[in-house]
Amino acid sequence: MIEVDIRLPRKNFEVAINESFSGGITGIFGPSGSGKTSLMHAIAGLEKPLAGKITMEGNVLFDAKKGIHVPVEKRDIGYVFQEGRLFPHMSVEKNLLYGIKKKKKSKVSFNEVVELLNLKHLLKSKPAQISGGERQRTALGRTLLSSPEILLLDEPFSAVDMNLRNQILPFIIRIQQKVDIPIMVVSHDLPDLLKLTNTFFFIKEGKCIAHGEYYDLLKKQEVSELLGNSALVNSIEMTVAKNTEENRLTLLEYLNNNEKVVVKCEKSKEQYEIGRKIKIFINADDIALSNKYMPEITIQNQIEGTVKDLIERGSTLLCIVDVGFKLVVEITFESQKRLNISIGSKVWCMFKSVAIDLVG
Amino acid sequence: MIELFKLSGSEIQAIQLSVEVAFYCTVISIPLALVIGYFMARHDFFGKPVVESILHLPLVLPPVTTGYLLLLILGSRSFIGKWLFEVFGIKLAFSFEAAVIASVFVSFPLIVRSVRTAMEMVDTGLEEASRILGAGRIKTFFKITVPLALPGILSGAILAFARSLGEFGATITFAGNIEGETQTLPLAIFAYMQVPGKEGATLRLVIISILISFTAMVLSEWYIKKMKHDRS
Repeated sequence: MIEVDIRLPRKNFEVAINESFSGGITGIFGPSGSGKTSLMHAIAGLEKPLAGKITMEGNVLFDAKKGIHVPVEKRDIGYVFQEGRLFPHMSVEKNLLYGIKKKKKSKVSFNEVVELLNLKHLLKSKPAQISGGERQRTALGRTLLSSPEILLLDEPFSAVDMNLRNQILPFIIRIQQKVDIPIMVVSHDLPDLLKLTNTFFFIKEGKCIAHGEYYDLLKKQEVSELLGNSALVNSIEMTVAKNTEENRLTLLEYLNNNEKVVVKCEKSKEQYEIGRKIKIFINADDIALSNKYMPEITIQNQIEGTVKDLIERGSTLLCIVDVGFKLVVEITFESQKRLNISIGSKVWCMFKSVAIDLVG
Repeated sequence: MIELFKLSGSEIQAIQLSVEVAFYCTVISIPLALVIGYFMARHDFFGKPVVESILHLPLVLPPVTTGYLLLLILGSRSFIGKWLFEVFGIKLAFSFEAAVIASVFVSFPLIVRSVRTAMEMVDTGLEEASRILGAGRIKTFFKITVPLALPGILSGAILAFARSLGEFGATITFAGNIEGETQTLPLAIFAYMQVPGKEGATLRLVIISILISFTAMVLSEWYIKKMKHDRS
């Protein structure tokens, strides 16, 4: 857990944040120049706040009153920069080995990192010879091997080609599963963040607008203004239950207490073994709602749930439906009236198996 | 014809001395230039332009003036000179060491300028990345900054070496023209020019001085090119 209570003046505003960040992945979302990077820099020690205190797992990293400012290299913080910042005069292998600490036992070994991030064939290459995505993976690996207590990722996708972003995401998810440390990811791209986490920290002009579960934050006026027309994605971690050869489908399970939710999706090229945890992504506007189960339709996934919340979003309406896990469904007001949907209504969420993306 | 290229003992001595002076001058200048160049590249402070001007002064000053100032400051009648002699028994002026010191002062602006420019070109973001990975300032300096600035450091060192080989004014003023002790190539050439019948010797030394400087330049250019090629 990292506790931040700082004031840091910027050109046009002041970053004033008093929050604590615990395990798992936290998405830091805000427009460009809202103080996201300043917050990360303050945690890492690259910028010195004017006032306040930062502690990590109880250890003081910064305390203005006591005059404590632990130097960058002694903070045990992993920071992956937007541009990767690989050392151009070293091979990928030397880059990876750079931060390994002799005194500290690493949570992951060199070989595990190479395996996890698929870097084996690149080890002898120089950074200039590899692609943007490969550079970013190397930067991730290098940071992991420095045994950080927390991982800060600053716009990890922006230097990567749009098509390749989905290739970086699974690596970040794998890292989180492998080394259980808090990860803070800064981005101004909401769908990318949603694919990684549901825990969000919204920031605007240096101030925290909202912090918590994304589904709970959506109804906040400031959050919905901040999100604008950005596409909303549902991301759910599920377990692979079955690969059916004849139907060419993969069955995924979500277990919540004794309830089991099954989602069918198109079999991906990658063969996922049974029991593997993977993430599925469904766009909020790819889900339809119905009052009843419809057997004679091609839509494979029809899951019953309860409407928990209705949030206006410009000309559309967001329904938060609890089907065992929460789903955000984007519908029109017209549909809401026609189906008479209100909080507490029983609905069937319908989405095609081909509308699901799998990552893991 | 072969006779023309046969070097006399004192000529060989002059060549050896020149290379030695240039070598020591370069070896002393490099660490100083690394520290001062890094400091100037990374820090802004009050009076920086003044410090810069002082650092670059020997570049524009007539070398004889530099030599004379050194004599004033370090000569046997100066405060420092007296102290050095009384405490350590060292007499700096008109010695081999004096030739090295004169060379260092005259060539230092060249190497420090080169090192500083090279270090300014090194992305400070990479230094930040190094420190976040747990490397302290010193490790970062030697593992990241210096290797990345190496082509500039090397070309600065070569410049200093070459400048030292050609140094005349400051050396003759501060170190004198003592055969076998401070008489480097340019001083020997100058001395031979004054003596009738030494035209052959003069020409030999002129050719040799051109050869040494030329080889140093070619080697450094080749090495810098190779280094740049290896990185891309």
